[in-house]
Amino acid sequence: MAEPVRSLLLAGVGGQGVVLASMIVAETLLRAGYDVKQSEVHGMAQRGGSVFSHIRFGPAVESPLVPEGTAEVLAAFEWAEALRWLQYVRPGGAVVADVRRVVPPGACSDRRAWLSSYPVIDATVLREREVKAHLIDATALAADLGNVRAANSVVLGALAAYLDVGRDYWESTIADLVPRGTAEVNLAAFRSGAEAPAALIDLPAPETGTGFVPARIEVNESWCKVCDICSRVCPEYCLDLDGDTRLVVVAPDACTGCRLCEMLCPDFAITIHHEGQVPALATTGAGP
Amino acid sequence: MTDVRDYLREWAMPHVLCPGCAHGTILRAFLEAVKRLELDPDKLAMVAGIGCSSRLIGYVDFCTLHATHGRAPAFATGLKLARPDMTVAVVTGDGDGLAIGGNHLIHAARRNVDLTVLLLNNSIYGMTGGQAAPTSPAGSVASTAPAGTAEAPFDACKLLEGAGASFVARVMAVDPIMSTNVMVEALSHRGFSFVEVISDCPEYFGRYNALGSGAEMLAWMARKEAGVAAALANKRYVNHVPTASDTSGLATGVFHREERPVFTGLSTQAAR
Repeated sequence: MAEPVRSLLLAGVGGQGVVLASMIVAETLLRAGYDVKQSEVHGMAQRGGSVFSHIRFGPAVESPLVPEGTAEVLAAFEWAEALRWLQYVRPGGAVVADVRRVVPPGACSDRRAWLSSYPVIDATVLREREVKAHLIDATALAADLGNVRAANSVVLGALAAYLDVGRDYWESTIADLVPRGTAEVNLAAFRSGAEAPAALIDLPAPETGTGFVPARIEVNESWCKVCDICSRVCPEYCLDLDGDTRLVVVAPDACTGCRLCEMLCPDFAITIHHEGQVPALATTGAGP
Repeated sequence: MTDVRDYLREWAMPHVLCPGCAHGTILRAFLEAVKRLELDPDKLAMVAGIGCSSRLIGYVDFCTLHATHGRAPAFATGLKLARPDMTVAVVTGDGDGLAIGGNHLIHAARRNVDLTVLLLNNSIYGMTGGQAAPTSPAGSVASTAPAGTAEAPFDACKLLEGAGASFVARVMAVDPIMSTNVMVEALSHRGFSFVEVISDCPEYFGRYNALGSGAEMLAWMARKEAGVAAALANKRYVNHVPTASDTSGLATGVFHREERPVFTGLSTQAAR
């Protein structure tokens, strides 16, 4: 009986370099002497869409597709994508995930709700599935190295820790495949991912509640000239004119706090008050 | 400092500008830049000449100098030479800066005085009654051009780059975030920084050319139509004279940046 075929999954969001990372994994495994088959979805996610890649390797591989519940390691470049592919990981397998959030465009259609619909970053979800959880702030690590786009190499470094393939194979492949001029930062990123403690990073307490920070619109009527700019630009139709004489906040609860009206008001008449800490989303870090 | 309104002379507000005029939006973007750079209000001087845009300095609680028509760059040069420790910003308009004070502007640029000049371009003389300005697109209607102006307009950024400005950029009032970002760059630049800000004049330019309210003018600005030329092209009653800029669109961003010796009066000092 030959060695079984082993499976890996890479998942992320368009623009993060999932396909390149997948090519690096496949090429590394080839150079290490395995038969490798790789399949990916690409082109549909120019930016911001879901991108994944299946990789299977072993002495002889017949099909590139990873059956559910068999992946040895899931390398996710984004938190929600990690959850999306979780059922493909076999019991006892590992999930390497960047805790970066990229909110999908679909979830933004209701901007008041998207904060609540985005899954909370909570490692207990992974523990319940009996997988090893390896959460890293790859984006922040890459940013520290000077190029956030090397975050995929950080995740690769963490992934490499779960595969018994020599470091030389990885590093030579990365140097050969990454865009010219970025080999140095990508290799540094790979090493920082490989050396990041193979344990949970310090996670914030599991998030509770909706995560939505209410915003309140204040109009200084003595400065407002009823020019209609704010009511035209508000994406949520919170503001409207009462006749041509007065600006009215018609839908105060719909305000998402985007501040477009405040920034474009020529008369300094609008103030948006955030009733609490504004979450830093789609940036680095795990925190809300 | 939590709110840019703290930089305003609140007793002077609300300002005199017409409803829908984006000059106030531009002032806000500038104040955001001042806030981000944490400039000391007592070490920041704003100098202006005459016109709608120049009125803005009356509302900011910095050191302000309201100069004669078109001569703000000359006053600002003198101020900067006497007080090199101060950050000096000039607010001017397309008429004030390019017509009445055109020579002062280009020579301040040529000398590379360490000033930041915001030129608020609304394509018309607003304060004096809607006369055609050197930036009025060919074909646009003004009080002095009832059948549409026959002259070609200035491209202020090309003019200033040619004159020697060491930082040249253009932004649009409708994009306050980019405006602030560019103004931060301009204020940080050592040498003559020129930022043309595309504004609107709903009261004269918009009304004469049937371009709608301030909100509607900002909407076409947001679409980055080829300045007003494209908007005008759709107006059959405007005697539209096509110009090269009609098809090229209105570019925004930083067009030119160089380090070169800064004029300090007695001698030129090597650029940092």
